[in-house]
Amino acid sequence: MKTSADLVRDYLSAVEREASALPADRRQELLADLSEHIEVTLAERPKASIAEVLAELGDPRTIAATALVEAGGEAAGAPVRSDAGAPARRGKVHPLVPLLMLTLPFLVAAILPDDISAAEFFSTVLRVIGAILLCTSVHWTAVQKTTGVLLAAVLPTVAISIWLLPGVAPSGAGPAHLANLLTVALLAGTAAWLWRVRRA
Amino acid sequence: MEPGDSTKQARAAAQLRKGVLEYCVLALMRDRPRYGVELLQALEDSGALATSQGTVYPLLSRLRRDDLVTTTWQESVSGPPRRYYALTDSGRAALDEFTRVWPGFRNAVDAFLTTPHPSTGDLV
Repeated sequence: MKTSADLVRDYLSAVEREASALPADRRQELLADLSEHIEVTLAERPKASIAEVLAELGDPRTIAATALVEAGGEAAGAPVRSDAGAPARRGKVHPLVPLLMLTLPFLVAAILPDDISAAEFFSTVLRVIGAILLCTSVHWTAVQKTTGVLLAAVLPTVAISIWLLPGVAPSGAGPAHLANLLTVALLAGTAAWLWRVRRA
Repeated sequence: MEPGDSTKQARAAAQLRKGVLEYCVLALMRDRPRYGVELLQALEDSGALATSQGTVYPLLSRLRRDDLVTTTWQESVSGPPRRYYALTDSGRAALDEFTRVWPGFRNAVDAFLTTPHPSTGDLV
């Protein structure tokens, strides 16, 4: 005769086996959710048998299949059914990388004297790469990526281009410093927001 | 009833459920945060939305990853701590949007199901 603990363990390992195509963190999260459910249900309905609770939870295969579908929706193009053991390769860089690439180059370029055009060129290249990494990252939703690129790349570039048009910028170093400060604040704010809303 | 009929009926219900389940889950959190077992109980009681309970957890997990809900752990007087799910601003916006389009959708389906549709071809 199997004990209650055995039944629960068998059930959870069945889910784990059926969900082997899920990324490990998703699988662990699913197992944690299910075992919490079992514990809470037993605490709330002391008369319910383990077998009943597990039957209500449903077939491990169905649960795993649902989890795979839910996970497949966001990793667009990633094969879920065929070859599901291979994790998606894209967007594996650490979320700090695109954020630093979007913000730091401007800071460095702003500190250096403005006639070093090589520094400006590299700054631009790094920021473009940062924007691409942001867009291909798995850490943000499409809306967050769009907002991030608009605020941290498009808006500053447009503002700087307008600033550089003849006759637009006020003379003197004061306004230029202020404009640089505002841009740095915008970049830092956007990066901080993206860092905060990122998903693991 | 033939067994085949009940299978088809189950398929229709499952198709419908698939589309609306996440919004019903969001709606359950509209007034206050809820924990998983509580959400499942409410779905169970509704009849039409009752589903294999375990399949709701992957859905909740996606809602969390999509920033539509947040979760917090809260101690309970009985048993283990519960993970409470609450709407985020974007979750509330998604629910509002669904609430806005649903009546039109429901009425359109009702109209298809109840109104006779005479054929408009040139069948003279």
